[in-house]
Amino acid sequence: MIRFQNVNKWFGSLHVLNDINLQVSAGEVVVVCGPSGSGKSTLLRCINRLERIQKGKLFVDGMPVHDSTINLTKLRAEIGFVFQQFHLYPHLNVLENVTLAPIHVRGMKKKEAEELAMEKLERVGLADKATAHPEQLSGGQQQRVAIARGLAMSPKILLFDEPTSALDPEMIGEVLSVMVKLAEEGMTMCVVTHEMGFARQVAHRVIFMDEGKIIETGKPDQFFDNPHSDRAALFISKILKH
Amino acid sequence: MTVLISGASLFLGTILGFLLGMVRSRKNRLVNPLIGFFVDVMRGTPFIVQVFIVFFILPEFGVELEAFTAAVLAMTIMGSAFICEIVTAGILAVPKGQWEASSSSGLNILQQLRLVIMPQAMKTILPPLVGQYVLLIKDSSVVSAIGVVELTRVGWLTVVRIPEGLMVFSLVAALYFAISYPLIRISNSLERKLTVNRVSL
Repeated sequence: MIRFQNVNKWFGSLHVLNDINLQVSAGEVVVVCGPSGSGKSTLLRCINRLERIQKGKLFVDGMPVHDSTINLTKLRAEIGFVFQQFHLYPHLNVLENVTLAPIHVRGMKKKEAEELAMEKLERVGLADKATAHPEQLSGGQQQRVAIARGLAMSPKILLFDEPTSALDPEMIGEVLSVMVKLAEEGMTMCVVTHEMGFARQVAHRVIFMDEGKIIETGKPDQFFDNPHSDRAALFISKILKH
Repeated sequence: MTVLISGASLFLGTILGFLLGMVRSRKNRLVNPLIGFFVDVMRGTPFIVQVFIVFFILPEFGVELEAFTAAVLAMTIMGSAFICEIVTAGILAVPKGQWEASSSSGLNILQQLRLVIMPQAMKTILPPLVGQYVLLIKDSSVVSAIGVVELTRVGWLTVVRIPEGLMVFSLVAALYFAISYPLIRISNSLERKLTVNRVSL
């Protein structure tokens, strides 16, 4: 589904992705973790081309993302992206946030899109908030709307960039449980997160990055209990203390 | 005539200004310096000189314009430069995440602007935009210099015939004020309303 082949990227002189090779198959849930500045968000953002890769090849669902001539709309319609800061549209209500892309990208009728949106809002448990505005919702609710917005395009892949890092602790659970449900339904997911509980429960693989490189890949339990590299061990001890 | 010139050039200047502003906010490396230079030149030269250039110098190159057309053209160009600045600032005030979220869901750039960015940018744009309209309406007095018979010119022509200069120009001022005052009030109330909105967020 997603294939990185010797992918490199620089921000100025900073080598932010250093020869990344990675494959994610359909239905797989991959958790990416690592210290800040390790390139994990950039890795994720390359997949839907919010960032361009500079060297190497990257295929998503057969589409060559490294190729500047590909149809970006088509690529992005296959990929839902959930941001740390939600980025809901503040001038639209919840329902309009979710229906915007189906109507204008997929060309759906308004009524059809609204039915679809209600179904997605139902899935994240917020059907009763359809007419609310984003600023009236808690952080956790906003993030669940953002997930519904991503789902409304019926994507093949969902990307999560630290979806719970901006949330108060008591709201993390509600977002994670939505994500667990999606994972169990077989959605292909790449999740940048430090939520170990989530990783252990549903991830098929954990990827540990540092300084733009993939240092270690493993099953969640093996990775967290018995990491191979010192750097990963140090990192895990830090997030455990936290 | 003042209303006509102002109305026409505000309308055209707004359209051109929004287009330039939207293009400029994309920070294209080729186009941006050009727009930036245009805006700086327009802001850095007196309007009366711009009017003269349009009216007296363009004919040298074979572009013959009537005084009215020249006036509208000059005001449109100057207006668009100021409006471009306001629009660019408004667009840049919309958080980057809004661009990322909307492009991630597959909207193209025109859809992003129309559906996501501009509705939010308008909050920042509207109060100074209306304020700019007031300035432009007052600047329309300058085009009397090229013989357009607008309000100020009418004042001049009248004063030549009757001696009550104070009264004539008080009347002229009152008429400008009558056009501008509603706009000033709108600008103020927009500013108040949109600021309150933002605080309550």
